[in-house]
Amino acid sequence: MSERSRSATGSTGASAHPPGRSERWGAWGAISGPPTPPSRRPAARRGRRQRFLAHLLAVVLLLLVSAPFLWLLGMSLKSNADIFAMPPRLLFRPTAEHYVAVWHSEFPRALWNSTVVSVLTTGLAMLIGVPGAFALSRGGVRATGRISLWILATRMAPPIAFTLPFFLIYRHVGLLDTRTGLVLIYLTFNLSLVVWMMRSFFDATARSLDEAAWIDGAGIWDTFLRINLPLAAPGLAATAVFCFLFSWNDFFFALILTRTRAVTAPVAVVNFLNYEGWEWGKIAAAGTMVMLPVLVFSVLVRRYLVRGLTAGAIKG
Amino acid sequence: MRVAASAAKRVVADARRDAAALPAAVRRQLAWKLCLLPSLAVLGAVTVAPAVYLLVTSLTPLDLTRPDTARDFTRPLVNYRLLLDDDRFWNSVWVQIKLSAATVGLQLAGGFALALLLNVRSGFLEACRTVFLIPMVLPPIVVAILWKVLYTPDISPVHWAFAAAGFPIPALITDPNLALPAIVIADVWEWLPFTMLMVLAALQMMPDEPVEAARIDGASAWQVTRHVVVPYLRPTLLVAGLFRLIDSIKAFPLIFVLTDGGPGTVTEVTNYYAFRQAFNFSYLGFSSAITVVMVAAVFALSWWLIRVIGAGADIE
Repeated sequence: MSERSRSATGSTGASAHPPGRSERWGAWGAISGPPTPPSRRPAARRGRRQRFLAHLLAVVLLLLVSAPFLWLLGMSLKSNADIFAMPPRLLFRPTAEHYVAVWHSEFPRALWNSTVVSVLTTGLAMLIGVPGAFALSRGGVRATGRISLWILATRMAPPIAFTLPFFLIYRHVGLLDTRTGLVLIYLTFNLSLVVWMMRSFFDATARSLDEAAWIDGAGIWDTFLRINLPLAAPGLAATAVFCFLFSWNDFFFALILTRTRAVTAPVAVVNFLNYEGWEWGKIAAAGTMVMLPVLVFSVLVRRYLVRGLTAGAIKG
Repeated sequence: MRVAASAAKRVVADARRDAAALPAAVRRQLAWKLCLLPSLAVLGAVTVAPAVYLLVTSLTPLDLTRPDTARDFTRPLVNYRLLLDDDRFWNSVWVQIKLSAATVGLQLAGGFALALLLNVRSGFLEACRTVFLIPMVLPPIVVAILWKVLYTPDISPVHWAFAAAGFPIPALITDPNLALPAIVIADVWEWLPFTMLMVLAALQMMPDEPVEAARIDGASAWQVTRHVVVPYLRPTLLVAGLFRLIDSIKAFPLIFVLTDGGPGTVTEVTNYYAFRQAFNFSYLGFSSAITVVMVAAVFALSWWLIRVIGAGADIE
């Protein structure tokens, strides 16, 4: 803050700017103010208007964001006649026929494949990546900068860059259309995600505790298992959920590396689109089943969501 | 997990016994390396090895229908030379530029504007935030299906609403002029909340003093936004833009489900073209060359953005 502005704030006094001001109105309330130091009342009115506009906008956005997937949800419960009814029916007699039909198709196996692959790759990535992240956070490894650049680079590369060589290698070693093959290729993004996210969680836990433990003669593994891991438990959970979500959501790798046996749910949904004509009810039901676990899990990790989605670029 | 942990413990214990004579600091250094080694080894195996394999494949005219082409290095640069004269490739680059510019531009500008308007503290807005997260965590394939429903005139409530209001709209995804904008709309729906929430998070951490000071010095709302808020948000906008740019180059499920690159090639981005060359026409060598060029372009672009625009931003 410059000398001039400090004196200016001082002269207008705290009464015009009570400390809780931005707490209640936010920075934009302050930005949109007039050039002269305002008296309190117009500012308050402006704050109310700002609040009203913000809430109005939020409601509009809420509708825009939620309407499409609520529509899909509704569609999955409509009879075929209702799906094609124009004008579209908001009120209809719900039916579970599409879910029943989907359940008697190949789709449950695809859901099971998705579950198995996502759980296994998450476990594997955590097992390998968490100690690595801890070493990067605490070990004073000299190459940290280079390693993080590498991790960022794997995040940037388009999936096809990994898919082509993996496809060729899997053809030779017989891993095409297997769940093992998917578990391995998902490590390309999950392992770097784990290393990156867990490093920032470990960075946030206090160093003084492990140093105290070292002085008391504890080894690094004891310190890690008994102190750092429990302290970083929320981070571990969030990271695991992220790995699960990214693996569950993957479409591209599974589309190319699986055919029939190891097909995952997202690919199976698209098969409804391609081979069985336009069975919108089934597509909607299957799509809903793919998205429900994601919605549940992401509510659990919503606090960490932006961090997980930008893993690799932002410190902490 | 416990098995591997105890195995690792045993390894560390062995190393510790061997190194019993060494000072504690050296022993710890050794343990850090043991922690980091599995991560780096696996990450190298699943990222560096495929990258090398990709590069090697790009030097062969590999065609899956003719197995003898796999080790044909007689004309190593033939794919790259073909690429230079390939109109369809250059078209895909141009489509990519249009798609990336439109989506990243709209998402940054829109996200910034909405974040400024929503920067008000209230419980209702906090609750909204969780809903705004939904589009970006939904499986991309489900997002693609949602928009397939909205873009299919037979069943789309949007088409019905426009028709009922007296402005019937043509089927967007089958119209050569409207297919790309249709993809842009869907992508913006999916990712605008991401940039908005990132900007909002940064805005709420912005100190009040610079804004207050500028206002007292007589700056208008526009000037404050332009000269105080935008510079403050620059790193955030850069990170968000970089991520959206990289992801826009990876765009796949939307194009796969909505347009399949068509009509003709109007929505065929480079990534999609590489996919088609490899898995529709089985020219894996040529596809690898496209991918190598694409990866190089992504890295160069990111490096340039970080260096030129983002000097001082907290990017690794």
